[in-house]
Amino acid sequence: MPTQGPKGMHRGVSRRQFLRRAGGTAVGLGALALSRPPRAAAQSTSPYPEWIPASTKTAKRGGTLTRASAWDPPVLDPRLTQSVGLYQFAGLTSNRLVRYVFPEEASGPVDMALKGDLAESWTSSPDYRIWTFKLRQGVKWQNVAPLNGREFTAADVKYCFEAFAKEGVQTFNFKEIEGIETPDKYTVRLHMQTPNVFVAHSLAEPIAVIFPKEILEEDGDLKKRQIGTGPYILKEHTRKVRVVLQRNPDYWDKGRPYVDEYIILITPDDATRKAAFRTKQADFIWTASPSEVEALRKTNPDLVAQSYHNTWVPWGVAMAQDKPPFNDVRVRRAFAMAIDRQKQVDTVYEGHGILGWGVPYIYYQDKRPTAEQFGPWWQYKPAEAKKLLAEAGHPNGFSTTLFYYEYFPQMTSQVQLVQAELKKNLNVDVKITKMDYTTYYGRYADLKWEGLCWGFQSGHAVGVDERTYQYMHSKSTKNFFRVNDPQIDELTVKLRQTPDPKEQRVITKKIVDREYDQVARLWMPYDNGFIVAQPHMRNHASIALRRTDGYGSPHITRVWLDK
Amino acid sequence: MYKYVLRRIFLAVPVLLLSSLIVFGLMRVMPGDALTVLMGESGNIGEKELAKVRKDLRLDLPYYQQYGLWLWQMVSLRPGDSLLTGEPIAVSLGKAIPVTLELAALAMILGLALAIPIGVLSATRQDTASDYAGRVVAVSGLSFPDFWLGTLVITFAAIWFHWIPPIGYTSLWDSPWRNLQQFLLPAAVLGFRLSAATMRMTRSTVLEVLREDYVRTAWAKGLGGRIVVYKHALKNALIPVVTVVGGQLGVLLAGAVVIETIFALPGMGRLTVEAIQYRDYPVVQTNVMLVAAILVSLNLAVDLTYAWLDPRIRYR
Repeated sequence: MPTQGPKGMHRGVSRRQFLRRAGGTAVGLGALALSRPPRAAAQSTSPYPEWIPASTKTAKRGGTLTRASAWDPPVLDPRLTQSVGLYQFAGLTSNRLVRYVFPEEASGPVDMALKGDLAESWTSSPDYRIWTFKLRQGVKWQNVAPLNGREFTAADVKYCFEAFAKEGVQTFNFKEIEGIETPDKYTVRLHMQTPNVFVAHSLAEPIAVIFPKEILEEDGDLKKRQIGTGPYILKEHTRKVRVVLQRNPDYWDKGRPYVDEYIILITPDDATRKAAFRTKQADFIWTASPSEVEALRKTNPDLVAQSYHNTWVPWGVAMAQDKPPFNDVRVRRAFAMAIDRQKQVDTVYEGHGILGWGVPYIYYQDKRPTAEQFGPWWQYKPAEAKKLLAEAGHPNGFSTTLFYYEYFPQMTSQVQLVQAELKKNLNVDVKITKMDYTTYYGRYADLKWEGLCWGFQSGHAVGVDERTYQYMHSKSTKNFFRVNDPQIDELTVKLRQTPDPKEQRVITKKIVDREYDQVARLWMPYDNGFIVAQPHMRNHASIALRRTDGYGSPHITRVWLDK
Repeated sequence: MYKYVLRRIFLAVPVLLLSSLIVFGLMRVMPGDALTVLMGESGNIGEKELAKVRKDLRLDLPYYQQYGLWLWQMVSLRPGDSLLTGEPIAVSLGKAIPVTLELAALAMILGLALAIPIGVLSATRQDTASDYAGRVVAVSGLSFPDFWLGTLVITFAAIWFHWIPPIGYTSLWDSPWRNLQQFLLPAAVLGFRLSAATMRMTRSTVLEVLREDYVRTAWAKGLGGRIVVYKHALKNALIPVVTVVGGQLGVLLAGAVVIETIFALPGMGRLTVEAIQYRDYPVVQTNVMLVAAILVSLNLAVDLTYAWLDPRIRYR
């Protein structure tokens, strides 16, 4: 009896086959319980490509794209959350003024060129304090009440940016705008508080989506409705079940998007997401390790996997460096030398991981950093670490604490490895406390904790200004790692005032070098992962910093189904 | 009988009140709150802004006032809105309850359909191959945790049959067939777990009853085996079984949390877990109170069932 697939696909499994397999399942369950195959040995390279070039065929219209997603947006209000749950589709219902290139237009995974989205062009004054954006004409809001397809104008941008500055999680960024002028219907002029060469980049971040005033004024918030100018109309958002996006027939970029419907199935369990992919209920998913891709390949031999290489890591050991003993740079350096990060890559991430650094390397060099590049304090040298700690006045080690939230299972292994190595190499006793997210976050963000913490920097905005000034300047509210270094302060301010891209790279490198030298943030390895897709997907590649299944959701605009 | 029921209802009040105090207290003891999670992640929120929103949501009130306010909302059956989503809790529950109810009912039906016949079979064929097989099934049900069994079932279904239930939730009224596909597998997993204890209890009580004098008399009268076992023995053996089943309803609700997560069903379990993670106080408190009220009612229902099973029982 054929079984009916989610999209009308018939996959024949005869009654005889079914009974045979049902019998086998019972045996299989038992067998699996008794013997679990060993994990793949550490491997240094991935057999999967890092980049999937755009299809050369003519794009086909139609079809339904489905993805099983771990994330569920708590609310639809872009003023109130920067969660990936929202931005896995907010960039499809709404546009920004500027955007990063789509994979289809990119020369490779690290191409970070800017393109116009709702703005056709933009210029800045010589001092980078006034930014003028010329808007695309003829853009209409989606034909959904109460907007009903009215024209998008400069007044909408002004209203939206002022609302972002007034309240919510984006206040800090939008308060940098001193004033907004709209000299005509299609021109927006931003007056910045201080010179900033990265204004266009900040407005290209996935979170800078433009929403209409009608919803905010009618509802008082944007929690329940989302209407934009984007390629997809939000047809349904049923919490914990699914998000359904329908092609916007009046989209200003004529002929796009290609896919008629995009369904995001909220699937919290990883095994279920993989099962959804195996049974073709999901067209693409994210997996962490090479062995997982290999396991999927057994049932789906024609899958297409992109080996995604992170250009930065979100997690590292944060030290209370404004208090003893971590206010002594020798202690921080000793810690860095006592932890074998390569071992974590080889064991925890099966060789498919990166050593860890906080500023995306693409902002200061072309190639991925090597271990040597981090400098002397980042090499695994336990004997020297011990000596340095003794010089700092702790010949017999000391006791400290570390709290963390397990974002993913590998993290616990990493925490335990760090604990073991600090004990073995420095006689430092680390008392670990594993917390639930809210407890962890509340303690982490109040910046009053002592000892150590498995710190993070969030991934919603990844421009160079975000990764340097916003996360490292001593006065920034995002300075979670409590960096307090006058040189870094000076360099990060200088960077946002430097227009020349070459000079920007030089300054960024200086910031990074200083960070490593001072061990201001002790980065830990992180996985690279894979985007795994059904063979009929086209133009779905992820680019650096923008995963198609996450904050890079606008890529879906150019995805098409070859079937 | 009526007096008994009234007395039980009256006694339920302090139980519920104590539950309300415990859940309210526990939620406040846990560090962090919904605002920290929702708005703090960006690192962009100042203390002043957080304080303003806290005031808007009345989270700045003293605990006793917050408790009093919430108690009044519960008594007046207006539990308020979710701090996280702003959705009225009654609406959230309206969506989640049918899912968990259907899952629990189906699991219970499947569990009992498995447990009673196997339990009786084990008892009537004591120490035979069938008995051993039944006992293995029961012990397996007790030993396999929900998360393990659920994960294996969904993974093997995908690998071996290239089929898993359609992800998501479709209402029974919108598409009964699709709904059944979505619920059958999770209910079977949950039901299997539930059936274990019931199976063992059925076996032991039926064994005990089969040794009673009146059963021997029934055999001596020449009654057929089915009549003796199912009409005379089983009914009398069911009182302890019903007690076990009633007691397992709490286990069933706990198991639903895991099963709903694995099979992506938007029920009470996921609603509560998410609310705990986000410190969505009103949602957690309301859900816990609802579950407490359901358990109290079910216990009463179980007690009342005794009289139906054994007419000698009288309530005073």
